[in-house]
Amino acid sequence: MTTVIIVLGLLIYLILYFTYGKKLERDVVVASDDTEAPSKRLYDGVDYISARREVLFGHHFASIAGAAPIIGPALAICWGWVPGLLWVWFGNIFIGAVHDYLALMASVRYDGKSVQFVASDLIGKRTGTAFYWIVFFLLILVVAAFAAIVGGMFVKTPEIAAAYVWKIVAALILGVLLYRVKMNFVVATIIGIIMLCAAIWLGTLQGIPLSYTTWMWVFFFYIVIAAAIPVNVLLQPRDYLNSWLLYAGLLIGFIAAVFAFRGFEVPAFSSFSPVLLGGKPTPFWPAIPLIIACGSLSGFHSLVASGTTSKQLTKESDGLFIGYGAMFTEGFLSTIVMVSIAGFGYTALKNAGVTPETLIADNWGAMFTKASASVKMAAANLFVQSYADMVGSTWLGIIPTKVIKVIAGMWVASFAMTTLDTTNRLARYCVSEMALPLKDSATGLYNALTNRWVASVIPAAIGIWLAATGNWLIIWGSFGAANQLIASIALMTGAAFAAKKLKSSFANAAVIPAWILWVTVTAAILWFIIVVQPGAIAAKPGPGWTVMVILCVMLILNFVFIWDFIKSKAYKVE
Amino acid sequence: MIPFKNSNLLPVHGFKPCTGLTSTANHSMVLPILEFFKRILSDFDIAHRESAAALTGVEVKELENIFALLLLGSFIGLPSPPSFLAVELLPFMERELKVLNSRARDAGDMLAEMVGTIGIG
Repeated sequence: MTTVIIVLGLLIYLILYFTYGKKLERDVVVASDDTEAPSKRLYDGVDYISARREVLFGHHFASIAGAAPIIGPALAICWGWVPGLLWVWFGNIFIGAVHDYLALMASVRYDGKSVQFVASDLIGKRTGTAFYWIVFFLLILVVAAFAAIVGGMFVKTPEIAAAYVWKIVAALILGVLLYRVKMNFVVATIIGIIMLCAAIWLGTLQGIPLSYTTWMWVFFFYIVIAAAIPVNVLLQPRDYLNSWLLYAGLLIGFIAAVFAFRGFEVPAFSSFSPVLLGGKPTPFWPAIPLIIACGSLSGFHSLVASGTTSKQLTKESDGLFIGYGAMFTEGFLSTIVMVSIAGFGYTALKNAGVTPETLIADNWGAMFTKASASVKMAAANLFVQSYADMVGSTWLGIIPTKVIKVIAGMWVASFAMTTLDTTNRLARYCVSEMALPLKDSATGLYNALTNRWVASVIPAAIGIWLAATGNWLIIWGSFGAANQLIASIALMTGAAFAAKKLKSSFANAAVIPAWILWVTVTAAILWFIIVVQPGAIAAKPGPGWTVMVILCVMLILNFVFIWDFIKSKAYKVE
Repeated sequence: MIPFKNSNLLPVHGFKPCTGLTSTANHSMVLPILEFFKRILSDFDIAHRESAAALTGVEVKELENIFALLLLGSFIGLPSPPSFLAVELLPFMERELKVLNSRARDAGDMLAEMVGTIGIG
């Protein structure tokens, strides 16, 4: 079954790319190589510069790939493997990839300007400004969600923590070799990879057993310090090592999924409303986009596509391969995760101590979340164990399971930690823009808020506090809401671009998913506020109210945005 | 300025058709396939290097902006270096001026570029 689903997934993606994708290219975007791309028209040798499409694909994919496509499916398995997989595939093909592709192409037609700028132009200035607020909230929630994921993983498997610390040492050494010693790049890379392997091996020898709270303190100082030191000292060499880990993880996972030849032990469908967010029955619609974000649809991708990718696209016909294709690749990554958990997740839970009396196919929806949390085998931990077991069941089993577990854990931790320390840099920019109205009326407050340290410590402090004290599933759901809200705005912008600017004959391929997404996300946030939040506030008032305020502000922004959208008649296909 | 994303700086191994090298049907099949995989590996290598360099590029950009402002800051009211020094350096600033102009144009629209460069997901 594992093999069948992987091959089927691959076929679906390939067929839809060459049929639906090409239709979008031809009839919605009307891509034409006769129109010169910004990389050529506005060439400046620095920002606007054309890159070969395969190279740009690699760039784009590295920027959009993160921990979220791994975590989402690991939670969505509570519905059974079919609903989650269907959302990954069809959400990805008809909404997520369309969103990425349209954001890229709208930006290309707008001289490489961002989707935020396009939204301001086509829908209204307020919609453009809303981006800063939603992104800022998203940064807080992403710090909280990812710190909690990594913290939980480090507590459950201290060897992963040790390996990660050794990897930081390796990255620091690599930084010295590259930038101080100025060693040959290839030689330094080989040494870096050897050090990465050594870090994994050393990690398996002796873990770092610290408490969850201690790890939260460590993460807070790590985020602040990592954002303050020059990027070439730690972040850049670490990211370089990370990308090797990403490709190794993907390759090993793909090979293992193809050769596992294993039936699925998780039920295909459990219930429409299994117990998930906040311990409440969580309906598949509208809640699914809050759970599976990046693997199916992510608003951040629109920013990546319209930030750097659009400035480097050589010609319009490359856009489909990069914007649409990279999203398919991420969906395929989620498919691998789903397959590994569907095939090996139940055994992993049983081996961790979940008894058959507690969790069987019949009560999967009601008990999965509770049972997996009780043995600390939820989300990332479940993926790490399932992935290691899947690899171990194939001829790749010659690699010790402990090593594979550390590799999988490092994979997730690397993505998550990269996100943690980059948020500060983005938050500082958002705060500066958000505080702009205060510049004249409250100069002192403006100066305080835009101070380098204040602006970057705010999201780190709130995020880590939420991670340390809040309910992780509540945080994850809120993170999904913020992410999908950005996606909703970006897809509406893409739809407006297709309908209003391009007057495409097939513009409804963008307009209809845009409406579906807006209604779904709005319903999901309303459901979250009404059903889930009261319990979360009663249990933990501090973090509960913080998340509540964020959700309410986002909901208001969402209605302001749709009002602007309707007023501008941007949806009207002409 | 350092064009950190300039793929032209890196060795690009383009796909070369194997005309004239194929004496048999097998060769005509095998060589293009090998070339195809060679090209994939080459592109993979370039993308990998450039992704790594992009992060350093953020800091380079910031330093370049500061350098350009040091020399041309008087336009926006910043104290300038002695005029003879600024004038002497001005001819070397042609490209910087162009890029500065383009960055000034996009200054209010930096969020997406930052997300694209730093990467988050």
